[in-house]
Amino acid sequence: MHKGVDCRLAMTQLWDFLDQELTEENMVAVRIHLEQCSACHPHAAFAQQFLTALSRCRCADPMPETLRTRVLDTLRNAGLMS
Amino acid sequence: MESGSQPVPSPVREDFDREVLAWMDDVYRFAMSLTRDASKAEDLVQETYLRAFRSWQTFQPGSDARRWLFTIARNAFLRGLERERHHVSLDDGDPDALGAIQHYAGLVTDGTDQLLSRVDLAPALTDAIGRLNEPFRSAVVLVDVEGQSYEEAAAVLEVPIGTVRSRLFRGRRQLQEMLAEYARDAGFAAARAPERGGDDA
Ligand SMILES: [Zn+2]
Repeated sequence: MHKGVDCRLAMTQLWDFLDQELTEENMVAVRIHLEQCSACHPHAAFAQQFLTALSRCRCADPMPETLRTRVLDTLRNAGLMS
Repeated sequence: MESGSQPVPSPVREDFDREVLAWMDDVYRFAMSLTRDASKAEDLVQETYLRAFRSWQTFQPGSDARRWLFTIARNAFLRGLERERHHVSLDDGDPDALGAIQHYAGLVTDGTDQLLSRVDLAPALTDAIGRLNEPFRSAVVLVDVEGQSYEEAAAVLEVPIGTVRSRLFRGRRQLQEMLAEYARDAGFAAARAPERGGDDA
């Protein structure tokens, strides 16, 4: 059904796989390899943890209340808004 | 119909309010990710809205206003970097598979992986993102922090998807190297193990 994926191919496509940017067929093929290959599995787990950690870097601070006013003032001062 | 520098008539203003001002929280968050500094982020948001308003006539009604704003913000951010005379690398490089395998093997054997599962890395990673050079930082911020697809990031950055991919590969790898350093400093990784042949990732 799917073409065999070797370690080299699995590692080359690891980011695309984790980002879900492969075709459906290749997603399946790479997933099967990563689940079954004891050499690749820890690398994939590491990369996944790394991406999860990165996604937590999303700024959680709310926009300062004053900024909206500042932006509108700037636009007015530039003669762009009445 | 060119209106020159005259004030934009109010119906346009209403559209602008609805389409563009509504995204200010998102633009601010993106600006924070790029600048890593609240006051720089505020300046960048202001600059973005100023530019957006000036080029409002070029906005295609019905298209993605948020994406349009992100493109403007990112370009303004790059110009700011140029003004500060930071080095802006335009070398995208290309990821190679064998290098990637060696790189992972190094990180896993070296204990960096334990760091990921044991420590709240957000502060270290946030700092590392701030040390990434362009064009890698924007790619990482859009895809890894903002959660955009390669396609969306390509539209914001105005480059082909393949370029986003290679910038991401390079950017992530640089981040991981910084983390490995951090792991060594934090005592997670046994101080740099004696290197065996071929470990020149
Ligand atoms: Zn394998």
